[in-house]
Amino acid sequence: MRKQPKFRARPLLSGSTALLGIQGAGRSLSRQVSIVLLVLVLVGESGVAVFVMRDLGRSYATAQRMYTGAVQGLLRIGDMQYDAQETRRATLYALTTNDGNLQVAYADQSRNADGGVTEGIVQFLAAARTADETKAGQQLARDWSNYLKVRDEVLGLILEGSPKEAVHLDLNLGVSEFELVRNDLDKVKRSYDEQASQQLATVAELSRASMTRLTAALVLGLGLGTVAIWAIQRSRLRAAVHLAELRMDFVAAVSHELRTPLTAILTAAENIRDGLALSRERLFEQASVITAQAVQLMETVDQVLQFSAASEKKLPHPLREVRVEEVIDDALLSTQSLVDEAGFFVETKIEPDLPHIIADVSVLSQCIQNLIANAVKYSRVKRWIGVSASMNREQNQILISVHDQGIGIHDSDLKRIFEPFYRSPDVIGAKIQGTGLGLAIAKRGAEAFGGDLTVSTEVGIGSVFTVRLPVAKPARQKASNAESAMRGARA
Amino acid sequence: MRARVRAVSLSAVILVSLALPREPRAQAATSPSEARANPSQSLAIVVNRSNPLDNLSFIDLRKIFLCERDHWPNGHRIAVAMLDYGQPERKTVLRLIYRMDETGYQDFLLREMFRGDVFIAPKILASPTIVRKFVFNAPGAIGYIRTRDVDQSVKVIRIDGLLPDDKGYRLQIDEASAGKESD
Repeated sequence: MRKQPKFRARPLLSGSTALLGIQGAGRSLSRQVSIVLLVLVLVGESGVAVFVMRDLGRSYATAQRMYTGAVQGLLRIGDMQYDAQETRRATLYALTTNDGNLQVAYADQSRNADGGVTEGIVQFLAAARTADETKAGQQLARDWSNYLKVRDEVLGLILEGSPKEAVHLDLNLGVSEFELVRNDLDKVKRSYDEQASQQLATVAELSRASMTRLTAALVLGLGLGTVAIWAIQRSRLRAAVHLAELRMDFVAAVSHELRTPLTAILTAAENIRDGLALSRERLFEQASVITAQAVQLMETVDQVLQFSAASEKKLPHPLREVRVEEVIDDALLSTQSLVDEAGFFVETKIEPDLPHIIADVSVLSQCIQNLIANAVKYSRVKRWIGVSASMNREQNQILISVHDQGIGIHDSDLKRIFEPFYRSPDVIGAKIQGTGLGLAIAKRGAEAFGGDLTVSTEVGIGSVFTVRLPVAKPARQKASNAESAMRGARA
Repeated sequence: MRARVRAVSLSAVILVSLALPREPRAQAATSPSEARANPSQSLAIVVNRSNPLDNLSFIDLRKIFLCERDHWPNGHRIAVAMLDYGQPERKTVLRLIYRMDETGYQDFLLREMFRGDVFIAPKILASPTIVRKFVFNAPGAIGYIRTRDVDQSVKVIRIDGLLPDDKGYRLQIDEASAGKESD
């Protein structure tokens, strides 16, 4: 019968507290997923917002162009049409009177109005963008000039007192020339109308694009938000399922670990009760079974309690400066019987004059003990364990390593071996007993002092577990270091 | 009765004009700047800028104003612009060109139109500005305004080869007599 390493008992803590680590891992995953999704939502929305802003800018610019071009052009054409009518109207008014003063006033009125038309034509030609517009403008300028010549003659005849000739000239030439001007103005107006329609269509198209993109942004945002919520819920569900599975595994493992020694104790006790162990040797043998199984039972219970304590992140003793040799000696002493019974040879290699570390000897020793016990448990043929301690001067760390030549760990298991209650399928298949708490306890023990526990392994060759611990700083900083270590451990 | 009043007033005007001192003209004739007339007192004869005519004899000018000539050499009908009753320029034209007073001018115009010798009476315009605009708008127009009222919209023609600024230009406004005539 193998003897399990002897562990010191820890205060009893509730089972739910012991599982805090798992729940925390689940929540952390949810947070990460939700943050990533929210960042995605933000990035997506920002991208769409940029497009929408660009569309809005283009719509604004197009609307401005439309206003300055087509709308103002239409207004100008409207003014020109009015002025052209006014030019002719005033000329005709001059025919209606014999008063020379009024005739001169109407002539003035007509000339003022024709100035507006002429100025409008110049502006139109200056603003013309296409060949058609220029052509229409030039045609208008020619026709307007022709009409003005007739108008001047008509005005002259009126003022000279020849209204009959004036009417005759206006009917013969003035009307037709003015009709040409009116047609030209209508043509220019139509071109502005077409321009405005085209630009309006462009604005409408841009607006539609903006609406589409906005809708897409909303849909994308809603979709990503929904996915984020779904991912969070799924993550929580998976964490809960994982927790339940671990609890079941834990219960199964603990039950097995408890039931096996209890069964042995019960069987031995029944043998004694039923008189099957009558001789002194048989009686001693059955009593030895009871004692050994009781010890194993106690150790299992101790391990569960240790994990609970480690999960609580409360250290049983205050931190102090300790020597590395002191920790290793304590761990080796505690596991000596286990190592000896299993027939292992332990080789130690400790670098001289290592600096001190800030730790609780009992907790750190427990960490090393678990690593040694695992080395014993998972080594099959080669019964050799190496324990070394050295200084990493670049990172100012003490490295305590436990080497074995055991079965090694598969890559697929590497990321999970420090999870509490995790036991690899190979280990379960090989019927290697355990609770799956040893490495979790060791890792939390190392982290409690601001350190870490890492592993390098090769299947079939062996594994090296290394505890990395920060070196103690000068004495005057001890107190603050201890506090910060505690804070780190609690965090 | 009305004719008698007119005769009396005309006699009074003649007497007053004869009685008026001639000093301003005499002074002008003997002043150092005698080479030039007083521009502010000169009356410019203006025509449309399209009118090719640059010079008129005073006799021709008189014929035009007396409606003895209907058309310009370029074929345009002559349209005479007269300032409204009572203005110094009109009085000067009546005195110097028509050689009539206001009543005589009215009688002359009525008589000529009644006889059919004049078809279109001169246009009566309210101000020199309107005269200028009238001349500007009508190719066959002819009018009179002070030289200070002349601008680029109309053309000033020479009378007997003289411009209003030249010495010996005949159409000078006599403000004093014009004012008394109006009284």
